[in-house]
Amino acid sequence: MAIHIHSGKKHLKCNLKESKLQSVPFRIHADCDAPVSTFFEPYVQTGKNDNDKNPNLTASFRGYPLKGRKIELPEGYVGVLLHESSRPSREKDERNFYVVNKFKDMVYWNWDKIPSKNDAYLNVLDWIDVAEVLHSPITEE
Amino acid sequence: MDNPKSDPVVITNLSTLESFLSESANFRNVSYISPIPEVCKEYPCILGIDEAGRGPVLGPMVYGTAFIPINDQMLLEVLECADSKALNEEKRDTIFGNICEKSSKMGWAVEVIAPNSICNSMLGRSKYSLNQVSMDSAIGLIRAALDNGVKVQHVYVDTVGKPEKYQEYLKSLFPNLDIVVAKKADSTYPIVSAASICAKVTRDHSLKVWDFVEGIDVKEFGSGYPGDPVTKRFLVDNCDPVFGYPQLVRFSWSTAANALENHAYHVEFEEADEDNNTPQQTSMSITSFFKMTSSKTKEKTMHEFFTQRCLSRKVEL
Repeated sequence: MAIHIHSGKKHLKCNLKESKLQSVPFRIHADCDAPVSTFFEPYVQTGKNDNDKNPNLTASFRGYPLKGRKIELPEGYVGVLLHESSRPSREKDERNFYVVNKFKDMVYWNWDKIPSKNDAYLNVLDWIDVAEVLHSPITEE
Repeated sequence: MDNPKSDPVVITNLSTLESFLSESANFRNVSYISPIPEVCKEYPCILGIDEAGRGPVLGPMVYGTAFIPINDQMLLEVLECADSKALNEEKRDTIFGNICEKSSKMGWAVEVIAPNSICNSMLGRSKYSLNQVSMDSAIGLIRAALDNGVKVQHVYVDTVGKPEKYQEYLKSLFPNLDIVVAKKADSTYPIVSAASICAKVTRDHSLKVWDFVEGIDVKEFGSGYPGDPVTKRFLVDNCDPVFGYPQLVRFSWSTAANALENHAYHVEFEEADEDNNTPQQTSMSITSFFKMTSSKTKEKTMHEFFTQRCLSRKVEL
């Protein structure tokens, strides 16, 4: 199965509007637009006694309390949103994705738990540093 | 019980009550305490506590308190403070206005518990029940009165649960006060009726000035009781398939939850027990030790560094 990602470079160079990403701790069985700016964003509040640089955030989804934190992607990386117009029915078929948007940061939300190093998705970024050390070419001094 | 506003607002009638409510964010809990009359600081007082809006599927739950010197309690009769549920809305509004006017004799306070704050308590990781929310609010009101210098001696609290346990709990927190917790206290004790009126009027007016953060322009949503056709209509007409309802609605009520099942996208939430990621397959059946076939050479597993981060190899190099 081949996977194609289209118009990546071209798109990223021209200034795509950066998207706001909210990573939420539940699965909504839908793929559609949602009124995030009126039903979600106005309720995002910044914690009182936190460090200003990366304060804890709170919000709510269908009555569930959420605790979140802004996650910046490491220097030199950019996040991309991919869109697949039609998913092939067979496993072997090629899949085509298109870059539709990009992001530099996202808000990672947990259900009633402050995001921390216990969250796999936050730790995953460690790999980038480790990979850098492991795989960067060795230069003779 | 902290009021975030810098210059203290004084509520003197229904319209100042409404402007106080509409200026406060309706998705956060808000407290108000009236100026304390000098007589309440000087002479021993009775203090009543009651709640409004515990049952409805929408709007805040309001806890109210009223206090007056023991020697002045005849005033409550003059003000016609009786069971607030037996009074109509207009009458309650009038009595509330009169209570405000007697600011040299008696004081009052309310805590408006936002519907979203109720949901968040009930749908949190560790359950914080509505009863506990209620008790903590009542305790907060007693503390606020004491902190503001009210010479509280007798406390009367209306309860929906078992009065004995609740009374004992309050007595353990406030050993110096005489505390009576009783069912239907609002029809028995005029000071509880006064508290009840303050709470009910605050809830009614908070709904009247409710400004939807979500930008919905609806003024009619009924009493919030599941049987009310206006409320039913509201829940049908104002359901967003992704977010469900505006935060006026208490998602943790079965009426709302059931309606969402039918009108909104299904959402899978994390289960509370699932939380501790116990390592999988640690238990082996005892018979496995007796298997004749030698176990295959162990499959090469990835280091914890990767497994803990849900990282796996997707491309063979």
